[in-house]
Amino acid sequence: MEIFIQLTINSIIAGSIYALIALGFNLIFGVSKFFDLGYGTMAVVGGYSVLYFGKMLGWNIFLSILIGVILAGLIGFLINKFIYQTLRQRKASNLVLIIASLGVFTVIQAVTAMLFSSQFQTLSQNIGQNTYNIFGGIITQIQLIILMFTIVIMLALAWMMKKTMFGKAIKAVGDDEEVAKIVGIDTNKIIAYVFFIGSAIAGLAGILIGFDTGLEPIMGMKLILKGVVASIIGGVGNVYGGVAGAFFLGFIENFGIWKLSGEWREAIAFVVLILFLLFRPRGIFKK
Amino acid sequence: MNKTTNWIVGIIIIAVVIWFGFLNKADDQIPSEKETIKIGVSIPLSGDVAFLGEGVRDAMLLAKENLGYTKYNYEIIFEDDQFNSTNTLTAVNKLISIDKVSVISSLGSNLGNVVSPIAEENKIVHINIGASDSNVAEGYYNFIHWTQPSEEVRILVEELKKRGIKKVGIFVWNQQGMVAVIDEFKNKIKDTNIEIVAEQVHNEGEKDFRSSILKVKSSGAEIYLLATKSPEVEILTKQIKEAGISIPITAIESFELSDQIDLFEGNWFVSAASPLNSFNSEFNEKYERNPSFGAANAYDLINLIVMASESKKTSTKPTTEEIAEELLKIKSFFGALGELNVMEDGIIWSEASAKEIKNGVVVELE
Repeated sequence: MEIFIQLTINSIIAGSIYALIALGFNLIFGVSKFFDLGYGTMAVVGGYSVLYFGKMLGWNIFLSILIGVILAGLIGFLINKFIYQTLRQRKASNLVLIIASLGVFTVIQAVTAMLFSSQFQTLSQNIGQNTYNIFGGIITQIQLIILMFTIVIMLALAWMMKKTMFGKAIKAVGDDEEVAKIVGIDTNKIIAYVFFIGSAIAGLAGILIGFDTGLEPIMGMKLILKGVVASIIGGVGNVYGGVAGAFFLGFIENFGIWKLSGEWREAIAFVVLILFLLFRPRGIFKK
Repeated sequence: MNKTTNWIVGIIIIAVVIWFGFLNKADDQIPSEKETIKIGVSIPLSGDVAFLGEGVRDAMLLAKENLGYTKYNYEIIFEDDQFNSTNTLTAVNKLISIDKVSVISSLGSNLGNVVSPIAEENKIVHINIGASDSNVAEGYYNFIHWTQPSEEVRILVEELKKRGIKKVGIFVWNQQGMVAVIDEFKNKIKDTNIEIVAEQVHNEGEKDFRSSILKVKSSGAEIYLLATKSPEVEILTKQIKEAGISIPITAIESFELSDQIDLFEGNWFVSAASPLNSFNSEFNEKYERNPSFGAANAYDLINLIVMASESKKTSTKPTTEEIAEELLKIKSFFGALGELNVMEDGIIWSEASAKEIKNGVVVELE
């Protein structure tokens, strides 16, 4: 029983990290309609900002986290403004946008490696390391914080989408950008805000991962892949779907490697992705 | 002049002629302008294990500085491979085709396996540091300067027996060198009462070991053997501690591959040959830090290449074939790692040792 509980906790921890990534990814995909690969590096921006301000400069850690989240959001906002928006105005295809986002990804990864080295780094060995016993299973403070943030952000996004004019505008842009323009919505502005919010969520995910395991400039690709898999499983563009897909992925991976071996983790994730693409391409939840 | 005097004068003239001839011949053997033997080194100078590459680089430069008089100039060209096979391939091709090196050095089994076939095909001497996979030394031009798994595993099994440990749980990185070590371990424990109760293989870049740890924990292992590299070894150790597990951990080399050695405080492990104190002191004095893992091998590597190259009696620069031939002849070489012998299979043999992390420092177990 104890093993089952611990495996469940491990699955929830993995799922909540994937969910954080999937939340921002789905939000951005919902309005931009392309797979923004550069999104993965927003986690890198967030994590390394805290490394710089909090660890290297010794600033207050909460202030550093706030700066990290805002900086990630701001960089995402600026990338959209100066690259994606320009390309959209030139009627560039989704393929062009994906290639541009791959360029963004490569540049940010390379610049991070130049500034901070490619070496694996931990944000802090002392923050969030307390452990809690839940029915015989162990969870650390930082993992609990990750889970809490995932739930809070999911609820906040759900509330925003349902109850605010801004949320309704996001839905309208996601449904049909041209029609949204006709009814007077400033679509560029809405997309820009969405990029800010989505990137800030990725930045927060990067910071929390930095506290939990550590940081490296190449972490963005693995995160975006897991976020994409979770989104496809749950339903691309669906906020709840992304979260459900992320937790489903966390459970499948952790229970799968209990029967197989740790080396099968990635294979399990992508076999599940292929199965979903073949038999349920719209994911668990339809948009 | 009488006949005797004529004979004496004649002999003196002949002697003088022979003497001058000999001198001229001897002069021919020493190149009037020193030729250069280029040594190409592909090592990680950035990335997760940059500290290992930096240690190797600095040790090689120290060895070059200490060379004294040599018949040839020695030029060492460093290339940063970031411990990545694609970069290594690019670096090695550049070293061979553009820099025209005679000798190449690489680090670790996986990269050694990338370089070996290229070195053999291009007839370039290749000496790897850190390879546990003996396949790296296959062929006439390939050498490994590292304590071999059979030797390290022998010490590990002895230590396990001594401590009465019978059940071992293993975490192993899916890489040729680490797999070779574990295969050797499996062979060595066949006739003992030691058994592997759990084995978890992971891929490079894995960060979430929680469920693998749970699986090994449930197997009832009395010790966890971590056969992996940095940063996985640190993350794994951290997550074992977070899971509230107090089972001791051990390793073959892995603890010394980390720059956060205090994470493994109080645990013993088996590792490659330790450098002599004299080398440690000299390195420390020069660079104001302790030599990293493999630095002493790098120091010896330069001296071995020089010894092999200088052994040749002819006037021209030795060919790569001649360097390889001379390397194979080296026996009882006394270097930074103590006595070394180059074996027929291209492995430069050195003894393994059991060590412990005590007060944040690696110390040898008695």
